Amino acid sequence: MAKKDIEDVTTISETDLARLTKEASQEATPSAAKIMWREFVADKPALISLFILVAFILFVIIASLFIDVPKMMETNIMGYYAKPFTSQYWLGADAGGRSIAKELIVGSRNSICIAIGLTVISSTFGICWGLISGYFGGMVDLGMQRVYDFMMIIPMLMTIIVIVTVVPHYNAITLTLILSIFYWMGTSRLIRSRTLSESQKDYVAASKTSGTGNFKIIFREIMPNISSLIIVDTTLSFAENIGVETGLSFLGFGLPMGTPSLGTLIANANDPENITGYWWTWLPAAVEIIILCLAISYIGQVMRRTTNAAQRRGKDKK
Amino acid sequence: MVGESGSGKSTTAKAIIGLEKATSGTVTYKGKDVIQAENRRKLHYNHDVQMIFQDSLSSLNPRKRIEDIIAEPLRNFEHLSKDAEKLRVLQLLDIVGLDPDALYKYPHQFSGGQRQRIGVARAVATHPRLIIADEPVSALDLSVQAQVLNFMKKIQRDFGISYLFISHDLGVVRHMCKNIAIMNRGRIVEMGSREDIYDHPMHIYTKRLLAAIPETNVTHRKEHRQRRLEIEKIYQEQHQRYYDKDGMAFPLTQVSATHAVALPPDEAQQYRQNKRNEGVTI
Repeated sequence: MAKKDIEDVTTISETDLARLTKEASQEATPSAAKIMWREFVADKPALISLFILVAFILFVIIASLFIDVPKMMETNIMGYYAKPFTSQYWLGADAGGRSIAKELIVGSRNSICIAIGLTVISSTFGICWGLISGYFGGMVDLGMQRVYDFMMIIPMLMTIIVIVTVVPHYNAITLTLILSIFYWMGTSRLIRSRTLSESQKDYVAASKTSGTGNFKIIFREIMPNISSLIIVDTTLSFAENIGVETGLSFLGFGLPMGTPSLGTLIANANDPENITGYWWTWLPAAVEIIILCLAISYIGQVMRRTTNAAQRRGKDKK
Repeated sequence: MVGESGSGKSTTAKAIIGLEKATSGTVTYKGKDVIQAENRRKLHYNHDVQMIFQDSLSSLNPRKRIEDIIAEPLRNFEHLSKDAEKLRVLQLLDIVGLDPDALYKYPHQFSGGQRQRIGVARAVATHPRLIIADEPVSALDLSVQAQVLNFMKKIQRDFGISYLFISHDLGVVRHMCKNIAIMNRGRIVEMGSREDIYDHPMHIYTKRLLAAIPETNVTHRKEHRQRRLEIEKIYQEQHQRYYDKDGMAFPLTQVSATHAVALPPDEAQQYRQNKRNEGVTI
């Protein structure tokens, strides 16, 4: 068999490499980061949301470094329900004379950090679980889905409350881990269903015939193709996860006493006296949660549009 | 390999390349059964056997640049340096007639014919010995079909690659293939060289398939119609004879050195008899 090599048939040689690469990169499609930035510029509410969210997170993290938490949480009888907008108490004080403004800063940091941690851990796990289960199918899928079913039938909130009361010294980190155990299932089901349809497509078959390994196919071929779903799901679950910790703390099973969070601040509204007379004890935290969740969902929309070329609004500048 | 849709052509191809598990039987390559995934890995089977898919859009990962798509088999099998790999990709693009600025584009920015050529370039990248082409042009319009087919022929000439060309278009098959197998209802019913199949079809299904090729000559329209109707009539009368009671084709009988047909048992018996007689006279 007279086999010729690929080199013999073409006229392209090493000398052309640099020139052709340059030509090609001029025609290249813009990178994902550039496209995302254009989308933010095209969508003003999202740009404002992004600015608010980033500035707010940076502010609470940096500002809480300068706050002495144990001292802040001390009861101060002189500040009993102090009115807001005074030089000592910007946002007033609660029944213990603690500054609401400071509590809000430290509490936001705690709540947001827990939400970020929870989202990262549970989404990563859920995505991996769904991808592997959906890609391999068969017995692997069967086994993994039974684990999923088992986790689903556990009454989540009750179990979390029990674990929280049983675990000895628990803090923000253990709480995040405990919550993570119970919040990956939704993501995994969603990802699995998309992976099932995605892994039937020809490009996966083409990768297999090209000799690419299974895990490389899963994470380098399939995962980028469901990235829009992953991004939307992660942003939404971030907004949701702020609510998870807040809700638990509101019920009194979240962070331990002496650690402020958005939930404990909103829990002030449990007291009818606070609701009617002392609005400053609970309203700022409630407004903050609404603003945060709105901002996150705006940002999520932009990210979804970035990953879907048909929905883009940003101008295609060369 | 030719056959109507649902006759098992693609399944056969996928079983050969290892995308689908064969329920029984073996595929032997270099003396090893490559149905087992382990043997495939050991032999670097997919270095030597590649595939071109029917749907050019879904066979290229929409999230990857053309460079990464074509370089994928190279990265798995050849481990070239970055520059050598890029050079090889550019050369491959040149072979299939695409400009070098395709390098950093995404599949959706190309037309169907260009995408299918990218698929061809990927299949050729590792210099395989066999390329399985599963209806590579049936999704393209006629002028583009010819273009892609000619690139495939040119590549075959230049590199000495074998194709397993799967199609339901007999015209394309006549243009591309030396040996042809006809599949029907999950079995091969007739197998032979191009001349055997087109000039001396023996199985009733092959005859019917060939009669279905459209003729463009208007002056003979009546006769063609007449002939088609005739064959259809024969088919309706005789097709019972060519399939067993479960509706399956019979095993293949060798009728000449290159030609094998799934004849009904009585005719097959006759052929075997003839052969024996010939043996006696010699």
